[in-house]
Amino acid sequence: MKATIRRKINIEPLTFVFSLLLLLLFFFIFVTLANMIFGQVLNDFSGLVNTAKNSSVMSSIFLSLYAGFLATLIALFLGAPAGYILARFDFPGKSLVESIIDVPVVVPHTVAGIALLTVFGSRGLLGGPLEPYIQFRDALPGIVVAMLFVSVPYLANSAREGFKSVNPRLENAARSLGAPLWKAFFFVTLPLSARHLMVGAVMTWARAISEFGAVVMIAYYPMIGPTLIYDRFLSYGLSASRPIAVLMILISLTIFIVIRILSAGWSIYDRD
Amino acid sequence: MSSKRDIYKLLVLIAVLSVTFFGLGCVDSSPKENASVEENGSGTSLAGDAAVLKVFHAGSLSVPFEELENEFEARNPGVDVQRESAGSAKSVRKITELGKNADILASADYNLIPSMMMPEYADWYAAFARNQIVIAYTNESMYSDEINADNWYEILMRPGVRYGFSNPNDDPCGYRTQMVTQLAEFYYDDSQIYDDLILDLTGMTVTEENETFMVHVPASEALLVPDSNKTIMLRSMEVELSSALEMGEIDYFYIYRSVAVQHGFEFVELPAEIDLSSIEYADNYKLVQVEMANGDVVTGTPIVYGITIPTNAENPELATEFVKLLLEEPGQQIFIENGQPPIVPAFADGKESMPEELQALVQ
Repeated sequence: MKATIRRKINIEPLTFVFSLLLLLLFFFIFVTLANMIFGQVLNDFSGLVNTAKNSSVMSSIFLSLYAGFLATLIALFLGAPAGYILARFDFPGKSLVESIIDVPVVVPHTVAGIALLTVFGSRGLLGGPLEPYIQFRDALPGIVVAMLFVSVPYLANSAREGFKSVNPRLENAARSLGAPLWKAFFFVTLPLSARHLMVGAVMTWARAISEFGAVVMIAYYPMIGPTLIYDRFLSYGLSASRPIAVLMILISLTIFIVIRILSAGWSIYDRD
Repeated sequence: MSSKRDIYKLLVLIAVLSVTFFGLGCVDSSPKENASVEENGSGTSLAGDAAVLKVFHAGSLSVPFEELENEFEARNPGVDVQRESAGSAKSVRKITELGKNADILASADYNLIPSMMMPEYADWYAAFARNQIVIAYTNESMYSDEINADNWYEILMRPGVRYGFSNPNDDPCGYRTQMVTQLAEFYYDDSQIYDDLILDLTGMTVTEENETFMVHVPASEALLVPDSNKTIMLRSMEVELSSALEMGEIDYFYIYRSVAVQHGFEFVELPAEIDLSSIEYADNYKLVQVEMANGDVVTGTPIVYGITIPTNAENPELATEFVKLLLEEPGQQIFIENGQPPIVPAFADGKESMPEELQALVQ
């Protein structure tokens, strides 16, 4: 009993101030979302249920999740090796390369969409030669490409930070014991930075799912969740678009919480 | 030691950034403050303290009205023209439902003024300019050297040609596209035009009742049928299609003449009987209707711009000056250059309620 009281008195001013700021940050995000979610659930629960039963709503949300997942897989395949090189080696123009990888985060997304259309459109730089084999405009590949473009920086950056956090001496130790570099990478570096990669992949996926501006430029059809939300807002107003938005938030939130719980054990690796 | 230096670096960086942005903020705001003082200073001599002219106008009037604003402000120093651009119906509702005051209202459909504003919020209107639906293209478009007002629909039907229009649920240009294509069936006496160009490639359906054709638009997600994305490009707004034409993603698209002119596109002018440009053929246009996914029904009407000074205008004298500029030679010139041909003299309803200086300018 005494111990707990003493601990309460001993709160450092810094801890106190920072906790207040955390509270502020939390409420800023929570109030904005909760207002919409609880408003929907409490005032118009039947509307939410009807929306969930609507097959075109569910297929558009599923398409968002699926296309985002494909984009994340490609981002992992491209971003993780890139992150490793950026973490381990110095080369001329490295900071230029790092800055350019960050550019998609800064570019307004409609501009990104137009740029993608000029490259992947049916008369574009890549889209033209590829046209007989694959159509990007108004098709799934276009959605994936747009999502990949805006979200791959998150993966490349967190992969780089993850690999940086692994001491190269551990790799060297493995190699001095006779392991080739690829073995050292897959059995030492990769497991140690797995959590960083996981967090990066979740961020990438989240970013991909939420993307609207770039996707709608290259692929209005088939409709992903955000496009459908925007379209319902234009033709019917807020009351028709909100249930879809709430549904999408709830589904994504569930997935993210599950991923966080499943990956919680992994944090043991990078603690020491 | 090095971490301490890092923190100093970070602090210096933050300081430099904040100084830069505060500095920019000051530079940015100070001339404005000066300007507003000047405006108030000279504004008093002209029209008391209220030297602000509020104009609500349709989005498609943004370009010509910006030029009119510059012209008007140059002629009337000290007056600040504040424009608010929105959909026509929304602009009217801002006055009638939200109770906002506007000195001028200009709508892309002149009919909205008599139907939504008169008699309570307006006594008169003047129909002052036209627009029309055209088929825009560039020199890169397939068969662009062959297309004309007689064969445009055959060219759109050719294999490999890709064309676009905007979503009828979201954009008036989209439902007007349906009307124009449907009217083309009557004019060219070919009942397959709408079927081949739009019906078979989309989820739209058509019903006929008492000689009137009604196009039913499905929910947006069901608009395109599988594989039609190779032929048709559908976007929420017409603007997105303009960029698609520029990059060669499509060969042709249905668009307002004004937008085609402002973007420098080539375009096919369609016959006045079908292109929704002329009050003369208003009875003809009425034969087609579009029912949107939300249940709203729109009937074909000429795309004629209307203007009025609402009864709750705070600054009617200045507003009269503005309308005068718009109806006279300088205004006409601006509308010609922007592809929205002026109606000269403008056609007015409720002429006797108009300010006297304006009565001479209308019919």
